[in-house]
Amino acid sequence: MSQKLRSNLGHLLLHIVLLSVGIIFLLPFIWSISTSLKPMSDLFQVTPNLIPSQIRWANYQDVLDYIPFGRIYANTIIVTVLRVIGQVVLASLAAFAFSRMQFPGRDFLFFLLLAGLMVPQQVLMIPNYAMMRQVGWLDTYQGLVIPLLFSSFGVFLLRQYFLSIPADFQEAATLEGANPFQIYWQIYLPLARPALAAFAFLVIQWSWNEFIWALIMTSRTDMQVLSVGVALFQGQYFTNNALLMAAANMATIPVLLLFLFFQRQLVEGITLSGLK
Amino acid sequence: MAVADISRPAPAQRRSWRSGRTADQTRWGYLMVAPMMLGFAIFFLIALIASLYLSFTDWKVISAPNWVGLDNYVKLTRDKVFLDAVRNTAMLTVPNVVLRLIFSMLLAIALNTNIRFRAFYRMLFFMPVLTMPVAIATIWKWLFDPGFGPVNAQLGRMGLPQPEWLNQPNTAVIAVVIVLLWSGVGYDMIIFLAGLQNIPREFYEAAQLDGAGTFRQFRDITLPLLTPTTFFLSVVAIIGSLQVFDLVYVMTRVGNINRFPTIVYYIYEEGFKNFRMGYAVSMAWVLLAVILVFTLLQFRLQRRWVHYA
Repeated sequence: MSQKLRSNLGHLLLHIVLLSVGIIFLLPFIWSISTSLKPMSDLFQVTPNLIPSQIRWANYQDVLDYIPFGRIYANTIIVTVLRVIGQVVLASLAAFAFSRMQFPGRDFLFFLLLAGLMVPQQVLMIPNYAMMRQVGWLDTYQGLVIPLLFSSFGVFLLRQYFLSIPADFQEAATLEGANPFQIYWQIYLPLARPALAAFAFLVIQWSWNEFIWALIMTSRTDMQVLSVGVALFQGQYFTNNALLMAAANMATIPVLLLFLFFQRQLVEGITLSGLK
Repeated sequence: MAVADISRPAPAQRRSWRSGRTADQTRWGYLMVAPMMLGFAIFFLIALIASLYLSFTDWKVISAPNWVGLDNYVKLTRDKVFLDAVRNTAMLTVPNVVLRLIFSMLLAIALNTNIRFRAFYRMLFFMPVLTMPVAIATIWKWLFDPGFGPVNAQLGRMGLPQPEWLNQPNTAVIAVVIVLLWSGVGYDMIIFLAGLQNIPREFYEAAQLDGAGTFRQFRDITLPLLTPTTFFLSVVAIIGSLQVFDLVYVMTRVGNINRFPTIVYYIYEEGFKNFRMGYAVSMAWVLLAVILVFTLLQFRLQRRWVHYA
């Protein structure tokens, strides 16, 4: 067998394997979409069909009637936007100072942040909840957002990137009388745009899906975010799987498409976070 | 590797530039890290100390905390539900970590070839990583539905037993691990792909000249040179598995009863359903200790086993 033929045969085998695995990965999404469109009578068949007997778009309308989905959607967007802006600003400011400036105690403070990565959030969740309760921030946007703004992870990620930018820019700007904030704002932030975008997408993705903090911070329906809304909806209407799938799809498919569109940034961020 | 490398101090600035501006630098430096450090001090340092203190109290939210010494921790060793939660968590962690690394490495190696449609395949495997865990759990709970779900329908067609997947720990762990793998493999695959791309081509060319086959190349080049990545991912996978919450909150809970509580689920239940916050926090500290042990163990082992290209 010639080299070329063998290599083609190998690729064909590989395609078959990858495609089979790919279909397994896709099937839950397909089932979810098909089930969300089924009429009630299709839901209680012992051998469910992938294809609905008739398409019932009204399932999606039903979800909107049962819970204030629009409000919950808006909450999720508001909370996510605030978290992204807050995390990017705070982390990039600190990362710039940690990578580009000299001041006493710098490395100590940085190691403190590093230690923060080792502590699971469950240890901090209860005292932070108590604090939010004390200041009356339960069921508020600030309660959902502010305690989660201080991301050590973002500081590390961006600091690595700032370190890779030559110091010449900084020196030149300093000689021309720019202060460190101007250097950060006008030179380093624009240069770090790829890293900032990668980090921002990681934050969006995390924030959109975040569950446990939102669960303990909110008890009012009108302050819920999507993850909590879907979970509680699941607990309430667990017999009507068409509605559950409709809710799950509405909560995920629009952003999933957005994430896939910006896949490059996300993959970059994930790779940056995983390896040097 | 990531953490070791990241903790390296930033290089000092050149002296000429630095001299004379030290006071200025210090002022601006503190000003710029201040917002971050202030928040970190409140929501991390103070919370950490408060958390440790609360773990030695009987705090129940409504009344002031009373010091009870080690009572909470002693009680944990005899709490059947907690021990079940620990067992459940261990039962899902081991297969999840091992299988996740194997599958994702195989997928990464397959996609590191010059095969066509790589980007398409990568997207397929990566999609679940981006999807909301609560939604994933909602979907899979329906797939695993004992009476009307597609999984059991398929098993029935093949004449196999149709268990009530999520109602008993022994089958629930299988279901949860399947979902964890489905939603986690894509992440590891991305990192493995980056690791594979760092291995110099010449190594393989030299091996081929020496007549080494595909398997020998894998065993003697790919596997050893991927060890930094593998170690990093195993730490991430262990820590992630020990903290599973969203999935079991939705999948294995009916009403107020969870058939497959994990450690974090039990922390949540004790803290926010039964309002035994002091007790819940003591569990969180046990979890912290376990995570620290694994992290440090990995660092020690890493020094001995990891090869760098």
